[in-house]
Amino acid sequence: MSDIAPIDFAPLIEQQEAHGLSRPSLSYWQDAWIRLKANKRALVSLYLVIGLLLFTLAGPLIWRVDSAIQDLDQVSQPPGTNRSALVVDDYKPWFGDQFLAGAGLRLAEEATSQAVRVQWDALPGASGHRVYRNLFPVGEERAYGIPLAEFFDVNTLHFEDRLDLKRGRYYYSVVALGDRGELLDNFEMIEVDVQRVTTIAEALERGLVDDGSELLVGDQIDLSWHPLGTDYLGRDMLARLMAGAQVSLFIGIGAPFLFVLFGVVFGSMAGFIGGKTDQLMMRFADFVVALPFLLFMILFKIAFGIGPGESGVFPMLVALVLLAWPATARLVRGQILQIREQGYIHASQLLGAKTSYLILRHMIPNTLGVVLVTITFAIPSAIFTEAFLSFIGMGVAPPTPSWGSMSNEGIKTMLITPHELIFPALFISITVLAFNLLGDGLRDALDARMRNTE
Amino acid sequence: MSETALAKDTAPVLLEVENLAVEFDTYGGIVKAVRGVDFKVDHGETLAIVGESGCGKSVTVQAMMGLIPMPPGRITSGSARLRGSEVLGRNRLNSKEIRGAEIGMIFQDPMTSLNPTMTIGDQIAEPLQVHKGYSYRQAFNEAIRLLGISKIPEAARRAKQYPFEFSGGMLQRAMIAMAISCKPSILIADEPTTALDVTIQAQILDLMQDLQKETGMAIILITHDLGVVARMADEVAVMYAGKIVEHGSVDDVFYRSAHPYTLGLKKAMPTNDPSLQHKLLPIEGSPPDLFAPPPGCGYCARCPYAMQLCNVRHPDDFFLKETHFSRCWLHHADSPNKPQELYFRDKE
Amino acid sequence: MLLYTIKRLLQGIITVWFIATATFFAMHNVPGDPLINDRAMTATTRANLEAKYGLDQPVVTQYVIYLRNLVQGDFGISFTQENREVNDIIREHFPVSAILGILAVMFATVGGVLFGALTAIYRNRLPDYVIMFVVILSISVPSFVIAALSQLSLVSLNNVVGRTVLPVAGWGTIQHMLVPAMVLGLGTMAYLTRLMRSSMLEIISSDFVRTAKSKGVPPARIFARHQLRNAIMPVITVLGPAIAAITTGGFVVELVFAIPGLGRYFVQAVQQLDYTVIMGTTVFYGAFLVFMVIVVDVLYGFIDPRVRME
Repeated sequence: MSDIAPIDFAPLIEQQEAHGLSRPSLSYWQDAWIRLKANKRALVSLYLVIGLLLFTLAGPLIWRVDSAIQDLDQVSQPPGTNRSALVVDDYKPWFGDQFLAGAGLRLAEEATSQAVRVQWDALPGASGHRVYRNLFPVGEERAYGIPLAEFFDVNTLHFEDRLDLKRGRYYYSVVALGDRGELLDNFEMIEVDVQRVTTIAEALERGLVDDGSELLVGDQIDLSWHPLGTDYLGRDMLARLMAGAQVSLFIGIGAPFLFVLFGVVFGSMAGFIGGKTDQLMMRFADFVVALPFLLFMILFKIAFGIGPGESGVFPMLVALVLLAWPATARLVRGQILQIREQGYIHASQLLGAKTSYLILRHMIPNTLGVVLVTITFAIPSAIFTEAFLSFIGMGVAPPTPSWGSMSNEGIKTMLITPHELIFPALFISITVLAFNLLGDGLRDALDARMRNTE
Repeated sequence: MSETALAKDTAPVLLEVENLAVEFDTYGGIVKAVRGVDFKVDHGETLAIVGESGCGKSVTVQAMMGLIPMPPGRITSGSARLRGSEVLGRNRLNSKEIRGAEIGMIFQDPMTSLNPTMTIGDQIAEPLQVHKGYSYRQAFNEAIRLLGISKIPEAARRAKQYPFEFSGGMLQRAMIAMAISCKPSILIADEPTTALDVTIQAQILDLMQDLQKETGMAIILITHDLGVVARMADEVAVMYAGKIVEHGSVDDVFYRSAHPYTLGLKKAMPTNDPSLQHKLLPIEGSPPDLFAPPPGCGYCARCPYAMQLCNVRHPDDFFLKETHFSRCWLHHADSPNKPQELYFRDKE
Repeated sequence: MLLYTIKRLLQGIITVWFIATATFFAMHNVPGDPLINDRAMTATTRANLEAKYGLDQPVVTQYVIYLRNLVQGDFGISFTQENREVNDIIREHFPVSAILGILAVMFATVGGVLFGALTAIYRNRLPDYVIMFVVILSISVPSFVIAALSQLSLVSLNNVVGRTVLPVAGWGTIQHMLVPAMVLGLGTMAYLTRLMRSSMLEIISSDFVRTAKSKGVPPARIFARHQLRNAIMPVITVLGPAIAAITTGGFVVELVFAIPGLGRYFVQAVQQLDYTVIMGTTVFYGAFLVFMVIVVDVLYGFIDPRVRME
């Protein structure tokens, strides 16, 4: 103990500085924000939500393509497909009059998306012919595809197909018909690669080139660019997703804000007034809760009716607000009743605080956290509701796009052009995911603080 | 401590805890809740561990029993030997023979410490089924007998009831019946009376004392109530900020207090002795932040006699007699200040 | 307990009345004359309907007629299918929906409890991460996408195996029911898993589990006798609303998998504006759900001793 000097035994004067609680105290929201920032998933979700809002609001300013315009040369094109087209002359009628060299089913000229012209020699034993087109070669089961034309004589041996032609490979078949128009066994098939073409007039009309004079027949030009492809009507997916985001997020965020607001007002009024009025109000809320939600959404949608030219967004919003408020009302009422019994409220009242002060200073700040979490969790369910209704055809009316109605359209062709389903579904999923995780993070951040104060 | 250990005979003590340290990982960082605690207890003895909330007294015994969740908890050092064999760090299978069988435990809040969806009888019967291999019938009958021993009227009917049908005092009796069901050699009571009414507190303490007389078990009593200590304990360990600051027999600690913190606790305790009547004095300030424990004495910031040394260096053990020590620099031979109200060795 | 049940049943009847009233006035609010708008209606049907519902009389009279019919269990006659009673439609199609729903509820409950308990026990370890990832995924993807994707995988499964292992659509055998029921129950299962997880986490760190540990009860027994039963309680309380969610969620699954259930029929009726069918189905579903919630609540009383005693 030789290292202890007498000076060490002098009284400690600056006792307060020695040690004590050194961490600074934080306000409720500061603490919650720190916790939220520490939660990586919640933070990523927050960025995602901001990104989605940017996509919805700023997106259309950058990607200035009308979501309603149809690009008929590029229908149901997945993103990244070749979009070059050959410039050809304007369409001229064809009568199949010039005879072509060759035998069997053959192309009269190069197949283009303008027209596919075929000629064939009369099949043995046939009293007529039927022309089919298919996307797959005819196999054992004799699936010829869609019938294009029927000829009940053996003199017409040519056909011009202009039906909805796209770039790609088709299989044309010509099948022999019997006396009574029945299908015979013998047929011929050819494989046809259709080339995409456009005319000078069309290119000018769509604004693909600045000046038509430089464009010559035989040139290759690029059709308009669709980063995420096109839908079944040739509309730009990206533009539609942006327009759909406006509808989906408007309902998805607007409706929860409205019904949470209504619920807060209703619930806090019931909680404040108390007594018989409270009983009555909450019993009414119980009734509304008991209404089967989706059925009544549909019912209200029908009841409000959608006039021609209306999108149906507004009725859906009203129906959502009418049906979804009781949960928040119950929650807020419970919260208010709980807070009203807290010691600090009594203390505040003893010190002469007015009701308005109590509401502003104590009630609102202490329910805000719960309300915020409720809104965050209400958003994904509102988005789901919109998607669900649009899916069964009870949502927004076409042509107004929403992610739900786009999924509904996409699901019909999901085997052939999956991108029409994948993109809107992906957007719904990401949005719902982001808001769910954000809600989890918010709840944990706000809850933890509440737990600490116990 | 080591001197006294040598002095005793060679038979191992019932329970000996040495240098136990426990940490917790939390949002704010690592909390060093227990920072090296030693104590021992023998058959028929009652050791009281006293201290204010958060001083680490409950964590000490729960760590010993393997009841703190790990993670975030962690035992960083120390040993606990039951009859000379190590308890800490044993695998679960072995600690099964200790928990409930060798050491019984009761907790602070009987309302939440019992399973709300199981009958009282079933819960008391459970350790008998687990440790002694009793059939359900046997165990349940034994549970009824134990409830009777714990002075619960109509035990047979009560055994079929659920916790929510019991009052707090009754539940604590049931807890005790459960803890002693396998005739443990040690009963750990973690603030057993804190949640109860004063009148019921006395009954519970009496019950514990009666049972101790009958079975000769040791009791480790965790409490912040000096009245309970005075009534029950043979030995007292005063804990502050994760360390024991004073340790001795109940008379030594009460009447010959040698640490300013013990003194502070006494001053804050109400008494019914008119000769000792004084105004209750709170201890100013709050315990140190255990995220970054102070290098010196933990009590330094609140101590009226604090010295420069206290702030930088942890006090040694100063023995006032073989079984009584205090960790306070005031007992150092060179300390010029020897406050009247504290007990010093040279006063003898 | 009996008194409680009777009280709940009375409340339920009032609730059903409220549902019926809301349905009536919502449908009465539909713009235009429902009888004129409808092309599919014949003159006979029209005459029948006018007489039956007093459509030429004031709203209050119509409402009284409507309520009287309801009390007698008469939901009326379809607008689009001549002389077909709504009761017949419900009788024919509801059992299909009910079987699908029961299977889905079973799948959701068993899965939710099991996975929830697993994730809580393996908190922040691999099983927790894997299950919670799937759970988050199934909460985030719309049900019709999941339905479509599972149908797609059925197609490719059958293609790979070379025969029909599980049918892609339709109804009839247990093979038909399996995948649709799972798809239908998935969202609820995910929700219940999350609920069970947080409930289980709370129980794991509860005082009475600590007591059980201090008694030396082995972990498996603690899980079975102390943790599971207590953690399951909140799951049971939300089972009523969960059944409601599954029943109405059945629309999509019935549409995608071409199952002849009431949900698909309802959507069809909505698209054809078949008023009596819409109203009848809504009231029927509403009453069914109210009844299910009561059943679940009463059942809960039998499981939780605290409620049972009251």
